[in-house]
Amino acid sequence: MSLATKGAEGTATWVDDRLASSGFVKRSLNKVFPDHWSFMLGEIALYSFVILLLTGTYLTLFYDGSSREVIYNGSYVPLRGIPMSSAYESTLRISFDVRGGLIMRQIHHWAALLFLAAIVVHLMRVFFTGAFRKPRELNWLIGVGLLVLGILEGFAGYSLPDDLLSGTGLRIAYSIALSIPVIGSWAAFLVFGGEFPGHAIIERLYPIHILLVPGVIIGLITFHMGLIWYQKHTQFAGPGRTETNVVGSRLYPAYAAKAGGFFFLVFGVMTALGGFAQINPIWLYGPYDPSKVSAGSQPDWYVGFLDGSTRLMPNWELRTLGHTFSFNVLFPTVILPGILFTALALYPFLEAKFTKDRAYHNLLDRPRDRPVRTGIGAAAISFYILLMIAGGNDIIATIFHLSINEITYTLRTGVLLVPPLVFVFARRACLSLQRADDDLLHHGIESGTIRRLPSGEFVEETVALPEQYAVLLTSLDTPARRALAAGGGHGDSDLATVRPREVQARPRGFFRPKGVQPSGAQHGSTVPELEGAQLENTVD
Amino acid sequence: MVARSWLLASLVVLALALVGGLYTAIGAPKSEAADGTNQSIAVESGRQLYLQGCSTCHGLNNQGGAGGPSLVGVGQASVVYQVESGRMPLANAAAQAVRKKPKYDRTQIDQLAAYIQSVGGGPQVPGGTLDDGQLAMGGDLFRTNCSSCHNFAGAGGALTRAKYAPALTPASARVIYGAMLSGPESMPRFSDTQVTPEQKKDIIRYVRYITHAADPGGSSLGHYGPIPEGLVIFLVGIGGLVLVTLWIGARA
Amino acid sequence: MSDVSNGPSGNQESVRDRLKSPAGHGEQSGPGDSRGSDLSTSDFQQTDSRTDAAEAVGHGHGQLVEHGTTVLHPGKRVPLDDAAARAAERKVAGLFLLAVVGVVGFVVCFIAVPFDFGTDYSPAYTPLLGLFMTMALVGVGAGAVLWAKTLMVDEEMVQERHPFASEPETRGEAAAILAAGFQDTGLPRRSLLRNSLLLGAGSLAILPVPLLFGLGRFQHKEDALRTTSWKKGVRLVRSDGSPVKLGEVAVGGVETVFPDVPDGNKAADSASLLIRMRPDELVVRESRKDWSVDGHIVYSVVCTHLGCPVKLYEQQTHHLFCPCHQSTFDASREAKVLFGPAARNLPQLAISVDAQGYFIAQGDYSEPVGPSFWERKS
Repeated sequence: MSLATKGAEGTATWVDDRLASSGFVKRSLNKVFPDHWSFMLGEIALYSFVILLLTGTYLTLFYDGSSREVIYNGSYVPLRGIPMSSAYESTLRISFDVRGGLIMRQIHHWAALLFLAAIVVHLMRVFFTGAFRKPRELNWLIGVGLLVLGILEGFAGYSLPDDLLSGTGLRIAYSIALSIPVIGSWAAFLVFGGEFPGHAIIERLYPIHILLVPGVIIGLITFHMGLIWYQKHTQFAGPGRTETNVVGSRLYPAYAAKAGGFFFLVFGVMTALGGFAQINPIWLYGPYDPSKVSAGSQPDWYVGFLDGSTRLMPNWELRTLGHTFSFNVLFPTVILPGILFTALALYPFLEAKFTKDRAYHNLLDRPRDRPVRTGIGAAAISFYILLMIAGGNDIIATIFHLSINEITYTLRTGVLLVPPLVFVFARRACLSLQRADDDLLHHGIESGTIRRLPSGEFVEETVALPEQYAVLLTSLDTPARRALAAGGGHGDSDLATVRPREVQARPRGFFRPKGVQPSGAQHGSTVPELEGAQLENTVD
Repeated sequence: MVARSWLLASLVVLALALVGGLYTAIGAPKSEAADGTNQSIAVESGRQLYLQGCSTCHGLNNQGGAGGPSLVGVGQASVVYQVESGRMPLANAAAQAVRKKPKYDRTQIDQLAAYIQSVGGGPQVPGGTLDDGQLAMGGDLFRTNCSSCHNFAGAGGALTRAKYAPALTPASARVIYGAMLSGPESMPRFSDTQVTPEQKKDIIRYVRYITHAADPGGSSLGHYGPIPEGLVIFLVGIGGLVLVTLWIGARA
Repeated sequence: MSDVSNGPSGNQESVRDRLKSPAGHGEQSGPGDSRGSDLSTSDFQQTDSRTDAAEAVGHGHGQLVEHGTTVLHPGKRVPLDDAAARAAERKVAGLFLLAVVGVVGFVVCFIAVPFDFGTDYSPAYTPLLGLFMTMALVGVGAGAVLWAKTLMVDEEMVQERHPFASEPETRGEAAAILAAGFQDTGLPRRSLLRNSLLLGAGSLAILPVPLLFGLGRFQHKEDALRTTSWKKGVRLVRSDGSPVKLGEVAVGGVETVFPDVPDGNKAADSASLLIRMRPDELVVRESRKDWSVDGHIVYSVVCTHLGCPVKLYEQQTHHLFCPCHQSTFDASREAKVLFGPAARNLPQLAISVDAQGYFIAQGDYSEPVGPSFWERKS
């Protein structure tokens, strides 16, 4: 062991002599990270991106991004003698002539699906806990940018094998470009190097997919993580947690070991899927041919909402003054996602404007404490899911023997009716949960013991909430709590008269009577009234 | 007494055997006339089967009726397809006939088919091996003519108004040939002058291959494409990893 | 629910008290416009009261803890001979060794399991590789996590945040430096300099645009959009090049056809669908009566919505159904749109029969095929 220690010391000295790195090392290894399982969702995205880089690099050693036509003569017998592009042929070679090639291809594709799924789930966590508020709006914007880039990167990636399914998707992309007013035909001919299909699109998607977009993504991820490092992660309210501190584990050694272990576990799930679940069987699709198509053609899941919006759109087209305005194409594929992603990007600023809240927020909300935001998020998710279901309407019709026409009509009404209903229900659910919390605070936990009073009345005894939970609940400032504090009553009428508004007053950490030392507030509870109380988590 | 009845019984058995043997040796039809006679026996058996099981809907004289169209001209190919796949006899009216366990065995189907062919003529499925065509050729033809309804792997697809192109996995070579030739219900008719018999055999070989060959990448997830893949990534990928994060984050 | 029973007396009061805003917060209580930072630098004072001494007393390795960080829940370093820890160590070691098994299995399967498609191929090849790769990765991963959870000293720490905003003096100084430097450039006063700079530097942004235009091929854009490879007299052929003769396609049949020109089967806009119905089933306008022959009618296969091939033909209903977004066309009525997002009929190709009985086109399509574009007049 001493040899290893001597070696480590020698290296550290060598580096420190040149970089004065010890201060950095000291600060970094001691950095405290809050631990909650939902904070690891972003890590899933990060790790799957690393897996994409590793498996993707392997694939570039064998793939040929060229549309040059060849006649297949490889191992896969059912395609022997068939003319195809070199891109498709090289993908077949990876799948059937390179040992381990197929599993690497499959891990790569599964990791791409996981990358975007993790981004979406992480986005939902950040949204519902309000982690995008000041000072983290910039990180939210970077995140939305990563989502959009991820979708484009995935689309480019699965188009590279030039198979029948992805080629159909490229045809659709070309037609969408064509439909853009004024510049449409110019844009389409520019990207494809002429009329569809041309001989350029694969050659162009390849450097975009392996160099340009991954480069930007790496830069954005670095910036994203740098901001988290510098601004420190947010945390849920709880014992000892205030707006001005972070409670959690030190980076070294426990947190690093868990994070590193998690990377290998994510990788393990990817290799399991890559080995046992077939994905993108391009040999069954066949090479791309503009005159061929398969029933049940869908894009990868993260483009599915656009496929759904396109399927649901009525056929409104305006032909006037010598021009055609294809609203039936432009709205679902260009205008709608433009509105959705812009709204997503601007949300932190919109919410701050509407709630008039410009305070710093390092403590997270529980979704129930922000009913309108939770309602908006739930409605948006329901809209998104309905669009994805619409994108699979023919698969649903095939498997369940339903009428695809009826499914389409139902979903057309559904996407308009369901999200507002979901908003109403989600908001009411939040208010009910708040009420349940208030009951708990006010009356304590039902103990199950029934007592008979001298008057003859039966009552159930309740036990006061343990302090750490009371702290948790009281540290959250909601209109209902304020009403409770002000009025003291707890009947339904009291709460019913409170019209909940999404107004956030100062975070609890700053309810501090004048004259109390800052150090006092940094012990234990965030609520100074409890300072005298015996809390089990104070230092002294 | 007992011995006498035994003797009588054995004499009767011997006589029967003698008569039966003589009949077999002398009375059986000759091979040259066998085909024609066999054929007419088949047609007659088919007619009986038809009258019992089909005439209620298709009419006593194949003229059609309220329950079903006329079968004049549909040919042996239609009968092979419809009856061997169990679609006919129809159990109940739906958007289209549904595949189910066939009611008749191979011999009966051939008899029915012979009868229908004799009544109005029509396309015929050839005998012999039907699935020895060329795989690659069959794939190309399949992707040109078939995948747009039946999906790239023959997993089936949706048509309008609750009709569907069925999955091809359970279809035998004869059934596939019969379907291509007779164009049942919504399916187009691929005559032998359009898709030659050799090309049909190529297609059959390809269909049997893709519906029965092992998938090299693991579970096929139904051969439905990206949709089950998306479901799996959320249920297994995200779901499983969330469970893992709960394990990691749980305090000991 | 009764107010009376609430455990020890006084709790109800204290809970209500807890919820009250404390005095001294009059101007900040209730909903309000909380502009500006509420965190002042003093909030982030790193009090020296929490010194190493206090930690050293409590936890032994307090000297290593970063300034401004305290321990909230101390962790205990587990003694080496603890039985439970030994058991945990064995579990972790077992997982790490499982990784070795996984790697060995992976290498063995990689080399030894048959992998020659067409001759000697095992469909278990990829699953076996996946199994052992997963074993190896999960072994290391789960081992590391279990190690951290059961054997490492894990303490709950508290670390102070740094202020997000700079000190007002620093801000002022930075702004002053920027302003002074800007003055030094002379830009505020020299309008000629300023304007010419904007013009000159701004025009650089235009420089790459013509270069990008090299990506496209625009000379025959209008031609490409409005015409296909079909010409008068060109025969209809199948993908294998064989011409289609009148009578080869049965009633109820459908055939994919291409123009008999070089690379005719590769031109994406020229692929067409020949459908045969009974002549009495066709309903066409007077001017198009001679576009079809004996119930044979040809439509463009390129969907007018987004370009997917409309190959799905329902023989009985004469519906053409696009698999991408379910646009439905009536082939017996000039491919009229019945359902779905397509807004235009499929273009029809006028055909006739030549002297040898083979189908030929009477000319190109009468309108541009495929999806709409801005310049399309109808």
